[in-house]
Amino acid sequence: MAAVATCGGDAGSVGSAVATASKSNVTSFQRRGPRASGTNDSSPRLVSITGTRPSVRNGQLLVSTGLPALDQLLGGGLAVGTVLLIEEDKYNIYSSLLFKYFLAEGIVSGHTLLVASANEDPANILQELPAPLLDDNCKKEFDEDVYNHKTPESNIKMKIAWRYQLLPKMEQIRPVSSSRFGHYYDTSKRIPQELIEASKWHGFFLPEKISSTLKVEPCSLTYGYIKLLQFIQNIIYEEGFDGSNPQKKQKNILRIGIQNLGSPLWGDDICCTENGDSSHSLTKFLYVLRGLLRTSLSACIITMPTHLIQNKAVIAHVTNLSDIVVGLESFIGSERETNPLYKDYHGLIHIRQIPRLNNLVCDESDVKDLGFKLKRKLFTIEWVQDNYLRQERNIYPPGFSYLLKQKDSAWGEGSLQHSTFLMSFLAKATAFASRLVRHSEPLKQTGSGRICQAAGPRLWHDGRRQEAPGLLGIPP
Amino acid sequence: MLDSLLALGGLVLLRDSVEWEGRSLLKALVKKSALCGEQVHILGCEVSEEEFREGFDSQINNRLVYHDFFRDPLNWSKTGEALPGGPLGALRAMCKRTDLGPVTIALDSLSWLLLHLPCTTLCQTLHAVSHQDSCPGDGSPVGKVHVLGLLHEELHGPGPMGALSSLAQTEVTLGGTVGQASARILCRRPRQRPTDQTQWFSILPDFSLDLQEGPSIESQPHSDPHISPVDPTAHLTFNLHLSRKEREARDSLTLPFQFSSEKQEALLRPRPSQATSHIFYEPDAYDDLDQEDPDDDLDI
Repeated sequence: MAAVATCGGDAGSVGSAVATASKSNVTSFQRRGPRASGTNDSSPRLVSITGTRPSVRNGQLLVSTGLPALDQLLGGGLAVGTVLLIEEDKYNIYSSLLFKYFLAEGIVSGHTLLVASANEDPANILQELPAPLLDDNCKKEFDEDVYNHKTPESNIKMKIAWRYQLLPKMEQIRPVSSSRFGHYYDTSKRIPQELIEASKWHGFFLPEKISSTLKVEPCSLTYGYIKLLQFIQNIIYEEGFDGSNPQKKQKNILRIGIQNLGSPLWGDDICCTENGDSSHSLTKFLYVLRGLLRTSLSACIITMPTHLIQNKAVIAHVTNLSDIVVGLESFIGSERETNPLYKDYHGLIHIRQIPRLNNLVCDESDVKDLGFKLKRKLFTIEWVQDNYLRQERNIYPPGFSYLLKQKDSAWGEGSLQHSTFLMSFLAKATAFASRLVRHSEPLKQTGSGRICQAAGPRLWHDGRRQEAPGLLGIPP
Repeated sequence: MLDSLLALGGLVLLRDSVEWEGRSLLKALVKKSALCGEQVHILGCEVSEEEFREGFDSQINNRLVYHDFFRDPLNWSKTGEALPGGPLGALRAMCKRTDLGPVTIALDSLSWLLLHLPCTTLCQTLHAVSHQDSCPGDGSPVGKVHVLGLLHEELHGPGPMGALSSLAQTEVTLGGTVGQASARILCRRPRQRPTDQTQWFSILPDFSLDLQEGPSIESQPHSDPHISPVDPTAHLTFNLHLSRKEREARDSLTLPFQFSSEKQEALLRPRPSQATSHIFYEPDAYDDLDQEDPDDDLDI
C-alpha cells in the first residue's frame, strides 16, 4: 500500500489501476475450505469472555485496567498476555491505587486473581479494594462531585468558542452496567465482602513461602522469584488458562498482580547496590514471566519502585522486557508542588511505552502532558494544559491561528509574532479535530518503513495535480 | 511530635551524622518506652554495654534486655553466652516471640548491621519484626512493635538508604543550627500522604526529652524560602491579562456569528448606495484573456 502512494507520474495510469486492484483486496492467497473444527459459519469464532473485548485496531483481546481513562490512553485496554509495569511514585500511594483498581476490575468482571506481594498479605490487599460504582447511584455521585468543583468562572458559557462547549472532555463519565468493559470505582468505600468471597483468587505472600526454609540461605537472590514463577506456572496449568484442560468450557482470564517487584523484600538487591550479584535476576524473571503470559489467557500488573533502582541500565532493560510501562510521578515533596500549572493535580502520569502487538505501529496518544488527581472518590487523568488554558479558551478558541502582539504595545503598533505557548493548545485542538492527520515526520523513527511525504501539491508539467499523499496518512 | 513517635509502631529510622549525633536521642526514646512499661530489647553492636547503660538509673537498667554483640561479635570466645546466629539470629528470635504486650527494639546501630549483613536480608528481617502486629494468627491482640534503628547516614550510599527509607514508617533526620538540635520527622502512613515536621529539642543529662520552640518553627512541608512559586506568565511576550476597559470592550463586542436584531435589519434594509465595486484591471503582457466567456453558453 505504501508503494502505491509513491508511484510516479509517468506510471500514473498503471498506478491507478494498481490502486483500484489493491482496494478490492484481490490476493493470490485463498482461504481453505471449512475449518477443521467443523463450524459451518465462515466467520471466525469469537472468544467471548466476560470483561474483555477485541481491540478496534487489530482485533487483539483486551482487558480493562480498571481505570477507563487509562484504558483510553493505552489504546483501548491491556492486551491479554501482556505485562503492565507501573513505575511507582516515591511514597507508593498512587501506584498501589492503580494496582487495586486492576484487581477490583478483575473481581467485578469475574476473572481469577493471583496476588503476589512480599510486604502485605494478599488477603489484606483484597480487603482494601475500592467498591464498584453501579448504575443507579453512579450518576448521582458524579453529579455532586462535579458540582463541588465548579467555580464561578466556568459557569460562563463560552461566547467565542461556542462550538466547543459540547466537546467531550478527555474522559466520558457515564454509568456503565456490570457487563460492560471498564467500570468506575469509589475509592472512599471498600469492596463488599460478598464480592470477594464470590471471586476466585490465589495469594502468594513471600514471607510465608520462605519461612520454612530458613536453613537454606534465604538471601539467595533469585529464590523469591523462582518460587513466584513456579507458583504462577502451577496456577496457570492447574486451572487451564493455557488451554491444557480442554474440558473447560468456560474460558476465563487470570489477572496477576505483583506488588513492589524488585524491592529488597523480594530478596533482590537491585535497589541496594549498583552492581550486585543479582543484577540479572529481575530481568530473567520478567523474561520468563512474559513467556508464561504469552502462552496463557492472562494479564499481569507489576508495580516496581524504579526510583530506588541504582543502576539506570537495569531500568532500561526492564522497560524493554515489559509491554506497557506507565510511570507515576507525584508532586509530594517536590518543587513542582508550588508550580501554579500543577496546582490542581497530584502528580504526572507518563506513558513510557506502548507495545506493538501484531502491528507495525502502536496506538500512541498524542497528548504527552498528563496529570492525575485523586479526588475523594475518583482517580482522574487529565491533560495538564487544560487547567491553565481553560480560561484562555474563552478568548482564543482552538482550531484557529493567531497573530499575537507584544505585551508592551498591547493595542498599539508593534511587531507581530507567534507564540509557542499557545501553539501547544492549538496542537491539541488540531489533533483532536483532525484525528487522521499524521505529522509529516513521524515522532519516533520506528523504522517500520512507512514513507510519509511532506505536504504540498505536486504539480506536473501538464498542469494536472497528482494525488498528494501529504499529511493524510491512509491507515493500513 | 517527637514524643508521639512511638505511637505509630513499625520501623523508626534515626538518621544522624557526624555533627549531630543520634545516640542520645535513641537513649532518650528507650528510656521513654521503658518508663511506659514496655519491654525493651537492645541490640548493642557499636558501643559497649557499660557505655550504653551509662546515664540510666537502675530502675530503667533493670528493664532493659541487652544483647551484647560488641564484645564478641563473631563469637570467638565460644563461651556459650553469646546468642547463636549473631545479631540476625537475635532479630529473628524476636520475630517469633510468644509473649504479648508492646515491645521496643533498639538497634544500635543499624549502620553496623548494614555493613555486616546483606542489605536484603536485613530488610526482610526488619520487615518481619516490625510487622508482627499486623496479622495476629490466633486472633489475640499482639502489642505493637517499635523498632528504633540508629543509622549513620554518611556511611551508606543512596541505595541502602533509599531501601531502608522505603521500609520505614518514620524517619527522623537530625540536624540543627548552632546550639540547637532539630529533628525533621517524616511520617509515612500506609495509605496517606506523608507528613513532614521539624521539631527542636534538647536532651537533658538524664536522657529525658525536652521539646523546645526553637529559633524558627518550620512546619510547612518542604517549603523553601528561596524558591518562590513559579509564575508561568512571567516572561511572555504577549499580553494574557485584560484590563477592565479592555474587558468591557470585549464583552460589548458583537461577534460575527451572532445574529442579533440590528444585524438582521442592517442586512434587510436596502442599501442606500448600491455602489458597485469597481475592479481595475491592468492586463499583463502575458495574459491570455479570452474575451469569450466559456460560461456564456450555459443557460441558467
